[in-house]
Amino acid sequence: MSSVTKDCVGDFGKHVPAYASTLRPRPHDELREWGGSRLVRGKRVLDLGCGDGRLALGVARLATRVEGIDPDPEAVASAKTNSRRAGVRNARFAVGAAQHLPYPDGAFDVVILSWTL
Amino acid sequence: MVDALVEIHRVLAPGGVLVDARPDSRVPAYAERRKPRGFQRFGIVKTSRLELANDRASDRAIARAVRDELFKRRRRGRFWHLVPFSDLAELRKYLREHLRFVHRAEWVVDAATRKRHSNDQFVIRRAVRYELLEACPPDS
Repeated sequence: MSSVTKDCVGDFGKHVPAYASTLRPRPHDELREWGGSRLVRGKRVLDLGCGDGRLALGVARLATRVEGIDPDPEAVASAKTNSRRAGVRNARFAVGAAQHLPYPDGAFDVVILSWTL
Repeated sequence: MVDALVEIHRVLAPGGVLVDARPDSRVPAYAERRKPRGFQRFGIVKTSRLELANDRASDRAIARAVRDELFKRRRRGRFWHLVPFSDLAELRKYLREHLRFVHRAEWVVDAATRKRHSNDQFVIRRAVRYELLEACPPDS
């Protein structure tokens, strides 16, 4: 009763951000798999490729400080909106690329590349 | 990618942790229908060739960062993530729009059966792999 059909896809690499974010694992599920909350508890966390802030906002309640950075200005705007709505005060979001991070040396205890690299 | 890893190493405190988590493209995803007990698998969803190449490039970048002693491998693993869909139409829309996938699942049953189950819950079961890497001191 099963088969697989092969589709022709012309636009490789196209992303669907809304789906990509809402249909990913929940932050605490991911965190549990990575070893639990102790990984980020009381730590300074950088979420690279933060998108709409799904993961950054999820770990913000545990971390001391969370920074999210993403090259997509629309995604960063969404992250800021989501952060305000959630009343999160220790998370900040900015537009930027991983190759040029606007932070001093040794500024973070944890850097997360979740579905980014 | 290697440039990004060098930059990540710079902003991480010595002993800090880099978490690299992403879909495991080496393992196919599965399309399944939720039954009263468990799931019925009805298709395999494979990753596009371009995405596979990107994933291999990411693996090589990590391997190089480890070889260059920027990071030490600490722990790695894999888990399964269920992407839920409220019905068959929603699953199809996702597969149509998600261009990471190329081989699309098709549920081959007669029209009456498909109609009977069209409001069932469907899932894509995807493998997600992760690795925790520890930042080595800059002068090590």
